Amino acid sequence: MSELAWGRRFLMCPPDHFDVAYEINPWMSVEVQADPERAAAQWENLVSCLRQAGAAVEVMDPVEGLPDLVFTANAGIVNGSQFVPSRFRHPERQGETPHDVRWFSCHGFRVEELPNSVTHEGAGDALPFGSVLLSGYRFRSDAASHAHLSRLTGAAVRSLELSDPRLYHLDLVFCPLDDRRALVAPLGLDRYGRKVVEATVPEPLLLDDDQALSFCANSVVVGTNMVMPACPPALGRRLEKLGFEVAVCPVDEFQKAGGGCRCLTLALDVSLAVAA
Amino acid sequence: MATEQVELRGHIIDSLILAKVMDVIIDAGADYRLVEVDIGRTNTDQSRAVIEVTTGDDSSLEALLDELHVHGANRIDPGTADVSPVEVDGVLPPGFYSTTNLPTWVRLGQRWWPVGNPEMDCALVASEGQPGEWVARTVPMHRVCAGDLVVVGHSGVRVEAPNRPRGATPFEFMTSEVSSEKPKALIVAEVAERVRRARSQPGAKVLAVCGPAVIHTGAGPDVARLVAAGWIDLLFAGNGFATHDIESNVLGTSLGVSVGEGTVVEGGHANHLRAINEIRRYGSIAAAVEAGYLRGGVMYECVRAGVPFVLGGSLRDDGPLPDVITDVVAAADAMRSLLPGVSVALMLASTLHAIATGNLLPAWVETFCVDINQAVVTKLADRGSHQALGVVTDVGLFIRGLCDQLCPPA
Repeated sequence: MSELAWGRRFLMCPPDHFDVAYEINPWMSVEVQADPERAAAQWENLVSCLRQAGAAVEVMDPVEGLPDLVFTANAGIVNGSQFVPSRFRHPERQGETPHDVRWFSCHGFRVEELPNSVTHEGAGDALPFGSVLLSGYRFRSDAASHAHLSRLTGAAVRSLELSDPRLYHLDLVFCPLDDRRALVAPLGLDRYGRKVVEATVPEPLLLDDDQALSFCANSVVVGTNMVMPACPPALGRRLEKLGFEVAVCPVDEFQKAGGGCRCLTLALDVSLAVAA
Repeated sequence: MATEQVELRGHIIDSLILAKVMDVIIDAGADYRLVEVDIGRTNTDQSRAVIEVTTGDDSSLEALLDELHVHGANRIDPGTADVSPVEVDGVLPPGFYSTTNLPTWVRLGQRWWPVGNPEMDCALVASEGQPGEWVARTVPMHRVCAGDLVVVGHSGVRVEAPNRPRGATPFEFMTSEVSSEKPKALIVAEVAERVRRARSQPGAKVLAVCGPAVIHTGAGPDVARLVAAGWIDLLFAGNGFATHDIESNVLGTSLGVSVGEGTVVEGGHANHLRAINEIRRYGSIAAAVEAGYLRGGVMYECVRAGVPFVLGGSLRDDGPLPDVITDVVAAADAMRSLLPGVSVALMLASTLHAIATGNLLPAWVETFCVDINQAVVTKLADRGSHQALGVVTDVGLFIRGLCDQLCPPA
């Protein structure tokens, strides 16, 4: 058993302009606005939880008019010094990409783009596990983007169809814990996707539907520390038994926009395995 | 029927995407054919599959393609057929698409249109009926007219791979198209079954193409029985077959040899000329039947039963009979005009007429070529009639067997 090789350095964006300004997932309702002060406090708390867990946090500038820039997981895919920016499905978020590209270019990353005929929403829909990159499709990313992603990064991509619109990104369904385990929410996968996960993850920890819809899979793993938006006792006990130390960091203001802890972070230290 | 090809790329095997796409197609009540599958050798290699999807109609195909698109299966752009106008009657534009006898579709105005009358070695002429509604048909070179729009190049043209007759039949074990080493009785029974099955379809016709050896081998009365009993709907032959059929019925000889005794009749070498001469006196075979000069035989039964026949001429013909069309291009056109509806063709001891007919037939017509000479059957296949199944045997014995199957004595 060995810890994840990535997850010690994250990019985040403060929620200065965070808001529920539009509705592009079932969680968003413009009638249920976020409380800016509470959101800011929760975000600061997340930063300190991550730092306490041993991770470094880098911060990009927020931009007015781009409320979801705070969800940096969707900026793109990091692979060593390569950055593949997202192609957002919804026009509401497409304005984020130039800012993401600028940040990565200024920080020494080589930017390589997907063709504009496909959509893919970055690490929100692509998580490395073992020698493969698991990538979700249907609600935000196109299945056809996976072949391009593989071509650009050299990674073997396993496509997973997401089946529940409430779990619209892969990072709401799947969370790698170490080299053998991952949290998996079967609710969010079709029967083929479940089989692929079974074949890929030696010891999956299955989340029940309530746990999945509480965004338990949208957690950040830093070595043996886990920062979770919620953790029901039963799940907490299972994780502790496996040697994980769980810190619950409520981010319910961001949940109003359909995001949890993982969505607010983008791991900058991922190197995708190029399988032989 | 509506068909499109889609392409899948990526790690489609390990992601079970290929399996899922095939399941989606089947669940939708559609059918698929894997046109191409290229599986990556290593974990990182991508795989590629080209799948041909077929549904009952355009709208169900569009719905299915939309669903498949979600899984990354993208429609392959089949291109659109290029057309070029004919400038001079009977002369095709350069680069014209040369047809096969296989079922063919042409893509015009973003839709596939079936070609109504597949025929090999022709051009495809497209015409727009209602705006946006295209009709595509094969037209032989000599029949194109100035202004006709002819398909050029290969873009936007699709042909369907040929199928062999299926079923637990003697043909199942006939791995070679031609064989002299098969139990003939079984094959005769099978051909009879195919003829019966064809005739049970509304509008389906059985064509017989006969060479003179049918008469020489004494099978004329059996063919006449098949015509009289309504098993043959169309007859193609040459001057020789019709002449010897008439000669044998009027004078009792075939090429001067007594059909009854097998002996050479004195002065018999001129018998066929005398027969031709008499028919020419009457003006046509039908007139000779009408006048009571011709009272039996294949041609007689055809006239009586109203079975259309085409007698195509050739350079060495004696006479010829007045019914023979001596302009070979006109003869082929006459044959062509009678072909719609033919679903079984029996090529009986005929080389030139069998090949000429084979050239005109769509590949879906079940074609049986019976000849004592294996080379005839091979030649037919070599000229593109790949659907022909050869039976190497004496045609007289074969037809007797077929007649016994189809017209058992009361």
